[in-house]
Amino acid sequence: MNRIRNITTWQWTLFLILALCCIGSIAFVNQNHSFYDRPIAKVIDTTIEKETDVTDMHGNEDTLFVQQIVARIMNGEEKGQEVQLANEYSSSGAYDQQYRIGNEVFVSIDSTAGEQLMGSITDVKRDTYVLIVAWIFVFTLLIVGHKQGLLAIVGFVINVLVLSFALDIYVKYYEVSLLVVCGICILLFTTISLLLVSGRTEKTYAAIVATLVATVVSLSITSLVIWITSGNGLRYEEMQFLTRPYHTIFMAGLFIGSLGAIMDVAITMSSSMFALYERDHTISVKALKASGIDIGKDIMGTITSILFFAYISGSIPMLILYLKNASPVGFALSMNLSLELARALAGGIGIVLTIPIGLYTAIFFIERKRARI
Amino acid sequence: MNVLVWLGVILLVLMIWVGGKSGARSFISLFFNFGVVFFTMFFMLDPNANPILITFIACIVIGCVSLFYINEVNSKTVMAFISTMITISILLFFIVLISKKLMIQGFGEEEEEAIAGMSLYIGVDFIKIGASVIIMSTIGAIMDVAISIATTMHEVFKHAPSLSKKELFKSGVSIGRDILGTDTNTLFFAFFGGYLALLIWFKDLHYSIGDIVNSKIFSSEMILILCAGLGIALVIPIASWINAYYLVRAREKLNKV
Repeated sequence: MNRIRNITTWQWTLFLILALCCIGSIAFVNQNHSFYDRPIAKVIDTTIEKETDVTDMHGNEDTLFVQQIVARIMNGEEKGQEVQLANEYSSSGAYDQQYRIGNEVFVSIDSTAGEQLMGSITDVKRDTYVLIVAWIFVFTLLIVGHKQGLLAIVGFVINVLVLSFALDIYVKYYEVSLLVVCGICILLFTTISLLLVSGRTEKTYAAIVATLVATVVSLSITSLVIWITSGNGLRYEEMQFLTRPYHTIFMAGLFIGSLGAIMDVAITMSSSMFALYERDHTISVKALKASGIDIGKDIMGTITSILFFAYISGSIPMLILYLKNASPVGFALSMNLSLELARALAGGIGIVLTIPIGLYTAIFFIERKRARI
Repeated sequence: MNVLVWLGVILLVLMIWVGGKSGARSFISLFFNFGVVFFTMFFMLDPNANPILITFIACIVIGCVSLFYINEVNSKTVMAFISTMITISILLFFIVLISKKLMIQGFGEEEEEAIAGMSLYIGVDFIKIGASVIIMSTIGAIMDVAISIATTMHEVFKHAPSLSKKELFKSGVSIGRDILGTDTNTLFFAFFGGYLALLIWFKDLHYSIGDIVNSKIFSSEMILILCAGLGIALVIPIASWINAYYLVRAREKLNKV
């Protein structure tokens, strides 16, 4: 009983609003077919027509299926009519998939043979499940994290909006340099995220300063290395989704990528240094330095490995595809991993540099505070 | 000289400069972990092997390296290890379910250029590989939270050995909450940075919101980010409960003797 009374009306209202948003948005994406220009069809019947075992030129065995699908169109002029779709898929499913009854797909209608519409599948309608997972994420974070969970979500949303807005500006005005846009973004990201994580306190300001200094220093080191070696060993040709000069995009991505980790180290350093100071106002600078380095040692390894795993794992599917296509191991690795490894290493450099930088900034802020008193 | 060698050497020097011996050990464990990911991938090449099982074994190895080699085998690391494994099992189950529904396995149409000219019918199960990738991307963060909670809860228990199981659990969760924000941030930005090129591509080619949300590559990215956040959130109550359970039981045993 006590627990329920502890929850304030404010929390109840928030929870109610979220629950309403959740139900409303899920109901919306289930019914939003008419908002799409492309025809959407819901699979109502499938039959597998053919099944063939294939072996490709590298000796990989797979099974190909041809699936005949009947689907009902959910929007547009042909709404309510049935369409015949053919789908070819493999059991590995690298670029194709089996469809089941109830799946919703985007189709293009190719021809009308008499009464019967014929078409082909262009893509899957994924918005419903993306939304459901997003809500599961939101509720888990709120239930586990309470206020901190809410702040993490708010920070995430604001950062996405800032990034999206910044990229809009970059795309619209050619003369704006991506590095300038990203510099401003980094400034905003740091301020917003750190203020949300630990509020308007001295330690937050110390962390913000440390993050920005560390980012600039590690940016210079990485740029210097790439400039000296003239990018030797980086295989930009495998960088995907390129519509623009790859070098700047890579550098910008590299810095946004390591920013989170640098902030993590900076805030951990400054909040533990301030905690030491709060406990004992007369603590000497030497003692602060010694415990700061100890804390830094502890977190250095784990945070660099967070970044390593996040970057390296993403290239596994492409590596498998390369190796299965009889690429030499060295070639496959250098093609797919060089950029990821460079990102992880540069991020690691940023993290390690943040430890002394965070340490001295925190000491500087503490000394200033001490002088004021 | 090669950029990667340079960056690697700089990282090593910095780590030793800042961390001394333990810095060197962190650097070695990075390469160890890299090796594990590498071997995992080789095992996944076999079409008859189950990628989920391989990932699970890989996670055990990674856990052993990062927890038992960097620290040492003691009740803290063992508890952190157990909580990491439980979280990963739950997450794995959830991810496989979701990726089947969403059909986000393999490569999207935006990647067509990269995979052109390659045989796609290679017999391995890309749904399971996709799930493995998500797990491997987040294991670092999950372990970080698990070990932080275990260490701090042991500290709390040492200073206040009479705490009840419920109070211990509460202290664990509140420690977790403090890390939650920063760790999710670390991963969010890592993924943002990695996919900056994709975001610019979407903007350049004037994708509508509907196109973006439904495209395979974006939804798989979203699921990766969301599942990473979920993993970090889930490990907090799990690790707190396991540590509370262990500490209280250890105390009862001690009292009996």
